[in-house]
Order: sequence, then structure tokens, then C-alpha cells
Amino acid sequence: MKFSIKGSLTIFLTIFSIFLVFLLNEDGEIPILFNLLTFAGIYGLAAIGLNVHFGLTGLLNFGHAAFMGFGAYVTVLLIPHAAGREGVVITTGLPFFLALLIGVISAALFGLLLGLPAIRLRGDYLAIVTIAAAEIFRLLVRDLESVTGGVYGIINFSSSLQQYRLGFIDNFASSNDLNPSQVFVAFLSWISIVLVLLLLRRLTNSPWGRALRAVREDEDAVRALGKNAVWLKLQSFMLGAGIAGLSGVLLAFNYGTIQVSTFVPILTFYVWAIMILGGVGSLTGPIFGSIIFWVIIGETNGIAQLIFENANGQQIAGVRFVLVGLLIMILMIFRPSGLMGKKEELLLDVK
Amino acid sequence: MIEQLGNGLLLGIIISVASVALSLLYGVTRIVNFAHGEIIALGAIATLFLSSPVDSRLLFLDRFSPLGNNFYISVIISVIFCGLLGGILEFFLFRPLRKAEVGNIAVLVVTIGLSLFLRHIYMLLNAKPQNFPLELQRRETYLFFDMTPRNFRVLILGIIVMVLIGLFLNYTRIGKAMRAVRDSNDLASVSGINSDNIILFTWISSSMLAGLAGVFQATINDVRYNMGFLILLLIFAGTVLGGIGTSFGAMVGGFIIGIVVNVSVGLPFMEGHTEAKNAVALAIMILILLFRPQGIFGEKERVS
Repeated sequence: MKFSIKGSLTIFLTIFSIFLVFLLNEDGEIPILFNLLTFAGIYGLAAIGLNVHFGLTGLLNFGHAAFMGFGAYVTVLLIPHAAGREGVVITTGLPFFLALLIGVISAALFGLLLGLPAIRLRGDYLAIVTIAAAEIFRLLVRDLESVTGGVYGIINFSSSLQQYRLGFIDNFASSNDLNPSQVFVAFLSWISIVLVLLLLRRLTNSPWGRALRAVREDEDAVRALGKNAVWLKLQSFMLGAGIAGLSGVLLAFNYGTIQVSTFVPILTFYVWAIMILGGVGSLTGPIFGSIIFWVIIGETNGIAQLIFENANGQQIAGVRFVLVGLLIMILMIFRPSGLMGKKEELLLDVK
Repeated sequence: MIEQLGNGLLLGIIISVASVALSLLYGVTRIVNFAHGEIIALGAIATLFLSSPVDSRLLFLDRFSPLGNNFYISVIISVIFCGLLGGILEFFLFRPLRKAEVGNIAVLVVTIGLSLFLRHIYMLLNAKPQNFPLELQRRETYLFFDMTPRNFRVLILGIIVMVLIGLFLNYTRIGKAMRAVRDSNDLASVSGINSDNIILFTWISSSMLAGLAGVFQATINDVRYNMGFLILLLIFAGTVLGGIGTSFGAMVGGFIIGIVVNVSVGLPFMEGHTEAKNAVALAIMILILLFRPQGIFGEKERVS
């Protein structure tokens, strides 16, 4: 990897923002930092998936939360869990990694299902269809309470993953006063990022990746060369949806429970902000974007306290979402390529 | 079923007014405005703010009633205020973006950020659902439908607004100019139409219609900071169903969606799942896109 000025600057900014965490929090830096890295890893992975859609192929996906949720719900429902108001316990189930595989594949197939009607159409239609599909997903999850637990959610599924926890993670967690299961999820999410990035790097440098970029820039030319542009777009949509499914599973295991409120539209907008901040079309950008984003989010508490006296949870959330909205707007207006994106690669007027 | 049809007509008229506004804006500027819902909410919130004592966290005002709480004057001022916001947005945000030749997709993402920003400003102002300061009314029968006199007035007013929009677009100079810019910006410019002014005018009128739709919606339900976001997807469904960019199509599409949402509650497989009624309308929208992407009244153009 060549280190350009842009790359070094991004790494400097990332390190600086981590340093800020130490500066702004007088005690408990290690748990705060660790919490931040966990979320940064999971959301970074989701942003990498979104970047496959938007950065690589130019597909506007505003239903990312649904792909994450789909992967998470399928996986969790296949392993032993307890669901609903009464907490009906289901003790039988598949081993975790098989369930995870099925979950990720179903998220990808969900992408295929959504892509089929929408991907032939102009970009803005896809935006509407994906945001609508995410809403349908949310309504169905809430409504099918007998399966998904509805608003009561699903609990007690963590042990199928945590039984694989390695010894050194326990040691690390106990010496730093951290929750070992969260440490394990963080470990897994960063491992997944590395694996997904290696896979994507291979894919984007392959003929397939070049064809995909060509679709983004001039679909008619790709068609004229005899490539099936719609199928290429669908493949990219499935790939990104699968990555989103994986990050959704990690998010579920990080919380230890999932409810309807876990996968709401705001999650999608977080991932969008991270992707734009990190750099549209850049493979590694979302990771740095994610870390910086979560440092900002982590400090909204302080910002809210500046505006309101004794800000309550809702006010903090409000300030946070206002900031995310501003971040998306300002970045898109003044620096649409984010930290790591290349301007020449960014053809935002995709038809 | 008849009662649901009445509710459906009411929701239909709200979605119609809002869909026409969205469709008009899309037709003239090619912007899919995700912040449309927030302008809708602003209409309701401003009306509430002007017409009744409000409890706001950010402004610390216990009672603010310079207008003597007159509801109708509050509505008019709020609608004008929404138009003003639309004009400001066009003048300070979207016109510079257009001049810098920022792509439509980037502008779409900007409207998403704007929507998030405005919605949570409202949330910080007041997160609790509130009602307009109107007295309770008894339902009465009009033709086949049972509804309160106030809701019936909303229905009639909505229909009048639609007719006025239709007349405006077809018979006034500026309406014709709007349609000309919609059909071809370049040709309109050549014919001496100042497309910047037309776009500004479109933003203002679209926002005023959205604000009015918000007042309608809040009269029937209540005022919430996210009311616009909740109804936005149904508006998209109505617009897409009728054909995005068409005015007449958006009216009909909005009506159909409003009726579908309410009538679907009576469907056999929906028993006990009333919360999911919006899902039916959204699913119809996706199906329409699959089979007739230009919508019912849209002209066949290449949309891929």
C-alpha cells in the first residue's frame, strides 16, 4: 500500500481523534475507547458493505439497516434463543458458524429480491425502494411477534458464540476491566474487516471489479461490450448486502439482545455518514471514517451538556442526530469524496 | 369497511396534496426531496406554535400567542412560513449546488442529511406528540361516510386545493412556464423563461403545499416531530404509483395509497396486524415499479 499525503493525513486525523478521547475524558478512558473501537469496527464493516453498493457500483441504498437486520434475525433465530414477551426458550438450533453462514447468505438473497425490481431503474428509484423495503422489514419484524419477539425482542443467544471465546481474550478483558464477551465481538469484527477487505481488494482488482466500475461510469458502454450490466449490479448488491448481514450479526451479539428498535432507519444514516466521511469508493476509508465518527458521537454527550443544562437521554440523542445530519450535508456539499476517496473516481451523477 | 373508506379518503387527500408538491418539485428540478416530510411537519409545528401554548425545551417559552390564538390565521402564517423555508433552501442551498453542477444523486444525499437535521431540531424543540387546540367534535354522516365536520372540511378544502393546482398549472402563465421547464429546461430557457425564477417559485409553492398537507395531517391525527418522516414513504408510494413528475398522476396515486392503507386493515390476512397497514401500500409501490416503472400516468421514458 502506497502512503499518499491523503492517506497519511487520514491516519494522523484518526490517531488525533483517538487522542482526543483521552484528552476529553478524565477517567475510564480504556472502557470508553474499547466501546468506541467495538462500534467503529461493526459500523465500519457495514460501511464497507455500503461502499460496495455506492462507491463501487453507484447504487443508492437507503435500506442498509434492513440488510443488517435480516442477517442478524436469521442467524439469531437459527441458534438457541429466547423470544417474545414470555421469553419462549428454544434450546435446539444450529451451531453458530453454520447459522452465521446462512444468515449472511439470506441477507445477500434479500438484496437480490430487492434489487430485482429496482436495479433496472434509475438511481433515485432504488433509493425509494430500499428505504421502503427497510420500513416493510421493520413493520414485519414488529408484527410477527410469535417469531421475532416483536418489540420484546430476542434474548439469551450470546452463549452459542461466546463458547468459542479464546483464553487470551478473557485474560485481556480481566486485566483491563472490560466485558469479555464484548472484547470477543470487537475482536471478531476487526478480524472480519481484515478478511472482507482482503476479499474486496482481490475482487476489485479482478476483471469483475473493473466491469463493476465501468458500470458505474458508463453503463451503456458496458452493455455495448456485451456484459450483462444488470446482473453485475445485482451481484454487487448481493455482495454488499451480505457484508451488511455480517455486521448486523456482530451488532446483535454486541448488544446481546435484538429488538425492532435495533435496526431502524437512523442506523442506515449512521452508516452513510461513516461511508461519506471515510471516502466513497475507497476500500479502507470507511474504517478511519468509522473511528472518527464514533469519537464525534462519543463526545455528543458533552456537546449536549453545553446546550442544555442536565441534558437527558432524548436531548443527547437529538443533538447526536442533528450532528449526523449536518455531517452528511456538509461533507456532501464541500467534500463529497470524504477523507480517502478519489475525486476522479467519484462520478456522482450516475444514471 | 365504509368507515375505513372515509378514513382512506381523508388520508388520501393529505397524501395527494403532499405528493403533488413532491412531484412538482421533482418534475421541475429533478430533485427527489427526502426533506419534504420535514417541511410537512413544519407546517403542523408552526401552526401549533402560533395557535396554542406550547411546551418547548429549546425556546423556553411557556406561552406564545401574538395572534390571539386564532387558528386560521396561524395556519395561513405557517403555510407562508413553509414557503419561505422552501425559498431559503433553494436560494442558499440548492441553487449554489446546481450552479456548481453537483449531480442529482449527491443532491439527494444532501436532502437526506437535511431531513435528519431538521427532524431532530424539531425533536429538540418538543418531542412529545401534541394536539391542535381544537374542541372535540361528534361524527356526523356525509353521504356514506361518518366523519367529524372538521375532517369533512379538510376533505373539501383538499379537493379545492387540488382543483386550484390543476387550473393553475394549465391556465396561468407561470404554471405553463413551470410545465415548460419540467419538459425541457433548455427549450424553456431559449423561449425566454428564466428557469431560476421558475425553480425558486416551484420550491416556494411546493413547500407551501407541503405545509398545508402537514396542517391537514395534524388536524386529523396529532403533531409530532417525526410526523413528516412517517408519512413520507406513503407520499413516495403515491408519487411513484401515479408517475413521478406528473401532477395529475400524483393526485390519483396519493388518493389510491391513502385508501389502500386504510382499506387493507379489513383484508382477511391483515386481521390483528393493523400496525402493518403501511407495509401493504409500500409493497404495492414496489410491485408497480416491477411492472410499470413509469407509474399509472407517467409517460414512457427510459428509466433504467
